[in-house]
Amino acid sequence: MNLIEVNNVSFAYTEGVPVLKNVTFSLNNGSVAIIGQNGSGKTTLVKLLKALLKPTSGDILINGINTKETTAAKLARTVGLVFQNPNDQIFKNKVLDEVMFGPLNIGQSMEEARENAINALETVSLVDKKEENPYDLSLSERKLVSIASILSMDTDIVILDEPTIAQDYLGKAKIRSIVHELVRRGKLVITITHDMDFVGECFQRVIVLSEGQLLLDGPAREVFSKEDVLRTANLEPPYVTQLSKTMGYQGVLLSVEEFVVYYHSSVENLERRS
Amino acid sequence: MKAVVVENLKYRYPSTERLALSGVSFEVEQGEFIGIIGKNLAGKSTLCEALVGLVPHFYKGAYGGRVVVDGVEVLSSSVSELARHIGIVFQNPFTQITAAKLTVYEEVAFGLENLGFQREEMVKRIDYALKLLGLYAYKDRNPFELSGGQMQRLAIASIIAMKPSIIVLDEPTSQLDPLGSEEVFRAVQSLSKEGITIIMVEQKMEKIAQYADKIILMNEGHLVDFGAPEEVFSRPDLESYGVEPPVFTTIAKSLGIKDNKTGLYPVTLEQVRRLMIGESHRS
Amino acid sequence: MARVLSLYVETNTFVQRLDPMVKLLYILVAVLISFIILPFRWVGAAFIVLSCLALLYARVFARVVPLLGFSFLILVSIVIIQGLFMPGNKTPAISIFGLTFYKEGLLYALTLCIRVLDVLLAFALLVLTTRPSDLIQSLVKRGLSPRFGYVLSSALQVIPQMMSQVDSIMDAQRSRGLETEGSLWVRLKAFLPLIGPVVMSSLLETRERAMALEVRGFSASGKKTFLYERESSTLDRVLQWALIVVLILSVVLRFVLV
Ligand SMILES: Nc1ncnc2c1ncn2[C@@H]1O[C@H](COP(=O)(O)OP(=O)(O)O)[C@@H](O)[C@H]1O
Ligand SMILES: Nc1ncnc2c1ncn2[C@@H]1O[C@H](COP(=O)(O)OP(=O)(O)O)[C@@H](O)[C@H]1O
Ligand SMILES: [Mg+2]
Ligand SMILES: [Mg+2]
Repeated sequence: MNLIEVNNVSFAYTEGVPVLKNVTFSLNNGSVAIIGQNGSGKTTLVKLLKALLKPTSGDILINGINTKETTAAKLARTVGLVFQNPNDQIFKNKVLDEVMFGPLNIGQSMEEARENAINALETVSLVDKKEENPYDLSLSERKLVSIASILSMDTDIVILDEPTIAQDYLGKAKIRSIVHELVRRGKLVITITHDMDFVGECFQRVIVLSEGQLLLDGPAREVFSKEDVLRTANLEPPYVTQLSKTMGYQGVLLSVEEFVVYYHSSVENLERRS
Repeated sequence: MKAVVVENLKYRYPSTERLALSGVSFEVEQGEFIGIIGKNLAGKSTLCEALVGLVPHFYKGAYGGRVVVDGVEVLSSSVSELARHIGIVFQNPFTQITAAKLTVYEEVAFGLENLGFQREEMVKRIDYALKLLGLYAYKDRNPFELSGGQMQRLAIASIIAMKPSIIVLDEPTSQLDPLGSEEVFRAVQSLSKEGITIIMVEQKMEKIAQYADKIILMNEGHLVDFGAPEEVFSRPDLESYGVEPPVFTTIAKSLGIKDNKTGLYPVTLEQVRRLMIGESHRS
Repeated sequence: MARVLSLYVETNTFVQRLDPMVKLLYILVAVLISFIILPFRWVGAAFIVLSCLALLYARVFARVVPLLGFSFLILVSIVIIQGLFMPGNKTPAISIFGLTFYKEGLLYALTLCIRVLDVLLAFALLVLTTRPSDLIQSLVKRGLSPRFGYVLSSALQVIPQMMSQVDSIMDAQRSRGLETEGSLWVRLKAFLPLIGPVVMSSLLETRERAMALEVRGFSASGKKTFLYERESSTLDRVLQWALIVVLILSVVLRFVLV
């Protein structure tokens, strides 16, 4: 049984205007990036996975349970979703309370919830702001609070909707290490993002949406090798990949490290030959 | 006349202790495209707001030094008067919708109405701005029913239509997909070619390195550096300011590929490619 | 993001085409007459009927219903509190569950309810049938502050905006394990704690929006122009004078009656 199974799912907010069309894929643990243009249906798709929306046709199974037969609240122990806009999520007037809200709802004791919340805040480096009012924090900090309030629930599936918005280099590095840590602990991490280099570096699998349809689904290297198909969705491979291509390098290079290794080995080859 | 002159600018928000800007000085020529980079809370937005007069007129607080834009001294003018000279696009697109207009078209007209433009001129400018930002097809939509990315472009169009001689943009592409942000950069570049001065805060280093003439690096309220992208991104201490150079520069740094004439690292794909080809010819 | 954030409904009847000043004047006249000049319940009721007819004619009555629903809670509590506890209560009217409602209190509550509805419907007529920008334009042309028009029209725009944010946060709460669907009690329990933060964030938004208005020259000195200049029609002038005449007549009537 797959952790997530999406079978031929279509969805429309208003009848006759389909936002998702016949989408099919299944996911287990690991890291998955969902990419696509603004309005291609990424947020809608993850809301369907979380049972906040129900498919117009087709089925979504989470751990074998059809989302039509359950509620978002019942799925809370399994699926954590960080919203695109932190203002749509945060409602407590103390950071710590906000991060403890989820754990308390899914039946953790006060001490447990507090401990998990503190750990989650440590992960996003905001422990020292735990007593503050979230409204006094900057947008990037509020985004990190909203991430912490999902991490504290320790769900098997973690979905991040555009986590890198408003983040600087350090914030992005933090999110990168969160993704790695979750994957190491055997979780499934689904992330929506527009940052292709972040995807290339950090994600094993990539799903491409285009106008509500699943355009590509596969390992990052494979997806980013299909430059022509990506272009039809107005997307481009990561900058590193573009550079390696213009240099005429073989294969698809996804990170600076890979590029550097390739460069050195090609230089060595040249030297050996001459 | 310089487009922007900032002299020893110091500013502290009311009821805070730290200076959000401390001793910032720089000058911008007309038609230049300036990028502002720096980690979160470095003071980038505060600097932008100081250029358009929201600092200090809107926030109050403690202010020292001098800011002159388009020949007008900010401290002795008002935000709405400065609007004739300098426009700003904020980070959050949602709160830039006036809520007083029912269509995208009228929304763009708001600023022009306030400044008293004649109808024919308004129509010309609105059409131009909407087309430049690829929003013309949405002109009859309610602004609130646009997606985040479209709203962000509407906010930019609303300022462009006012044709100020200086446009400030504070992380205007954060919600946009790759094509959307490329389009914004191109639109802004074409304005800069027409002689409009551009000052833009951005986290997408590859893009700002490609488009900006010069870069301001901010850190903890200080202006750390102000120079060509190659200079700023070649700094060995860049990461200590919480800034990552463009990925092309990172690669060049780890491979030791420099422009031998200037001793600086490349910052764009084209530059790195040219240098690497030169390198392989030599070896 | 299909947030419907405007209360104005585009159905081009003569009510929509009226000069916003006429509608403003209507609010003023309705309130002055039914509150001060002729403070009788039937006068208030007459204005309620008049407003309802205009709203029906303008085909926007459906939009009033949620507003009425919102104020229903307030009205019910007025009736209960005044009916049970008003100091002047003497004559028992009815008893429910062993609680006695008094005639004086109930009548007073009725007066209050009529006044609330009176104001609400008159404002609804203005807000639901007037483009916010027309209102601002009307005020500015008569030398009044655009700020006043902006506050007037955006104040009610804020309600749908807050409701849509409540929806989003409730989605986020459900996502974190709080059941928000089900009985009224369950829903209320999820809803009540959100009022504070939603009001708070809408205040913060207002502040940010104020900055965005300023940098687009909202308080610039000099003459404002308008994209769509509207001319006042004969009907506008006729109705305007009619309202003034009604106001004067009511004052006269007041002295005749007393
Ligand atoms: N609540 C909603 N009501 C109606 N249409 C919506 C709603 N949310 C999103 N949409 C529409 O659905 C499409 C997909 O939106 P979304 O899933 O948010 O895209 P993405 O996250 O990929 O940018 C868009 O055309 C958008 O306008
Ligand atoms: N409205 C405000 N009131 C008080 N302090 C503020 C306000 N806005 C920003 N600051 C403070 O000013 C400093 C600079 O912030 P900002 O200019 O927003 O940085 P950046 O845009 O680089 O992230 C920070 O220390 C921040 O906390
Ligand atoms: Mg989205
Ligand atoms: Mg900022």
